[in-house]
Amino acid sequence: MKPPLNLAKESDVNAIGFTVTRPEDHKQRTLEKMAELRDSMRSLMVMLETCTKCGNCAQQCHSYLGTGDYNNFPAARAELMRRVYKRYFTTAGKMFGRFNGAEEFDEETLSKWVTYFYQCNECRRCARYCPFGIDTAEVTIAARHILSELGIMPKFMQSIASAMIKSGNNMGISKLACLDCVEFMEEEMQEETGLDIKIPVDKPNSDILYVPSSADFFTNVDTMIGVAKMFHHLGVNWTIPSSVLEAANFGLLFNLDVMREQNQRLNAAALELGASLVVQGECGHGWRAAKMYTEGASGPVPFKIMHVLEYCDEHLHELPLRKLPMKVTLHDPCNYSRGGGIIEQPRRIIRACVEEFVEMTPTGADNFCCGGGSGLLMDEMLEIRMQLGKKKAEQIKALGQIDYLAIPCSICKAQIPTVMKHYGLEGFEKGGVMDLVGKAMIYDKPEEE
Amino acid sequence: MSFIAVEGKQVELDEDGFLVEPSDWNEAIVSIFAKSEDVEELTEEHWKVINYLREYFKKFGMAPMVRKMCKDTGLTLKQIYELFPTGPAKGACKLAGLPKPTGCV
Repeated sequence: MKPPLNLAKESDVNAIGFTVTRPEDHKQRTLEKMAELRDSMRSLMVMLETCTKCGNCAQQCHSYLGTGDYNNFPAARAELMRRVYKRYFTTAGKMFGRFNGAEEFDEETLSKWVTYFYQCNECRRCARYCPFGIDTAEVTIAARHILSELGIMPKFMQSIASAMIKSGNNMGISKLACLDCVEFMEEEMQEETGLDIKIPVDKPNSDILYVPSSADFFTNVDTMIGVAKMFHHLGVNWTIPSSVLEAANFGLLFNLDVMREQNQRLNAAALELGASLVVQGECGHGWRAAKMYTEGASGPVPFKIMHVLEYCDEHLHELPLRKLPMKVTLHDPCNYSRGGGIIEQPRRIIRACVEEFVEMTPTGADNFCCGGGSGLLMDEMLEIRMQLGKKKAEQIKALGQIDYLAIPCSICKAQIPTVMKHYGLEGFEKGGVMDLVGKAMIYDKPEEE
Repeated sequence: MSFIAVEGKQVELDEDGFLVEPSDWNEAIVSIFAKSEDVEELTEEHWKVINYLREYFKKFGMAPMVRKMCKDTGLTLKQIYELFPTGPAKGACKLAGLPKPTGCV
């Protein structure tokens, strides 16, 4: 079985500090890494030991529903690792092998791991419906980590890790380029509002460190502009760090040590600029990485971490907002709504910014993933990505005509427009939640004489 | 990873068909890439975008913000998509010899 994605070649793997394990050593290295994770990631062992194959998860997984592939059924996906775990780590599996559902680890298993652990969006919806709370995302995270330790990783992930090492962000934006982007956005705001709204870069002694998604410096300009307008109006002392111009943390999506390094970068930037509050921009998995793992990576930190939608919600009553004549719905990024603590905040913000807000079905913590989650944005996987996005397309189609689809996560912002086009759903805008805040802000433009 | 023959020289492409070495770029490559990116005929406007992207990349080492590209070239996003059906990040950057933008695009 040939995995449907481009894997990084050895020189590229080496360039980001990884080594490639020879095929004859794959089994031994995999078992070593599994043993390490068994000791360090208790949740993983719970996920591997408790499944009863009740099948509840099948109808809840957009990956299985969209592709119809048995191995994308969450219990079957986790089984790809569970069988190996049983064979080498349990007495029954060691003694009775296949009769106990255990399986040898071989190259065929390895190919299946690469193929199917990169068709799980780590959305955790299965965990919500599992009677035992088994979270396949934890298994996927562990499997991708082990694969990367063998030197097996998608070229897409490797390119991002490489850009991250060079520039501190996924897109490879240098400080010079960052300043040029900032100047452009400041001009845009000046033209629109007549006000001198700044986006301070690396300003020492800032109270708030705002960490944008680097895609806001390429495609999603209005998200950054919305945030800048909010901070300007509130009159706070804020800055963005050129050293971590990135809310994303792709380490969570392919290698846990890479995640830790990026977390430490965030910590260093906050300490250097003296911030007592770190505000994370519109990025789903990055929110999980920052919220859940910053202290794990760096120990106790002297700053608080908030999401920009939490921050904006807290200050909503202070913002001069008018209701835009629009019908808007919200796609809940998985890492906000399942375990990320962000469900009601974006809804309150949107209701304050537009005349009509409609919910899609299901919604909130039950919402379906866009199909790009966990960094599945590879071009070569386009056909599979469209299958993964099928449930999302059905949800939007059921709403009838809307004017704006709010998608407050950069991965979702890259995936959803392609999905909508693929399924013939057009005629509405797509963008962030902070974009709406920026557009709904009332400015008393100085009268022209 | 593959190679294409351009004016008798082997030029290396990455997995997505972008140039591995931006310095390999020349006008003959643009015509070759145009076919794979659904650009039927290269017009003056295509060249305006291509030259603009190359200039920006030379100065800043990355592709410009999409909105800045529109503003500076005087083209709307719709027009850019008409010129480069596979989009500004893919088709336009590829023809201009820029590396494929990484990240959430």
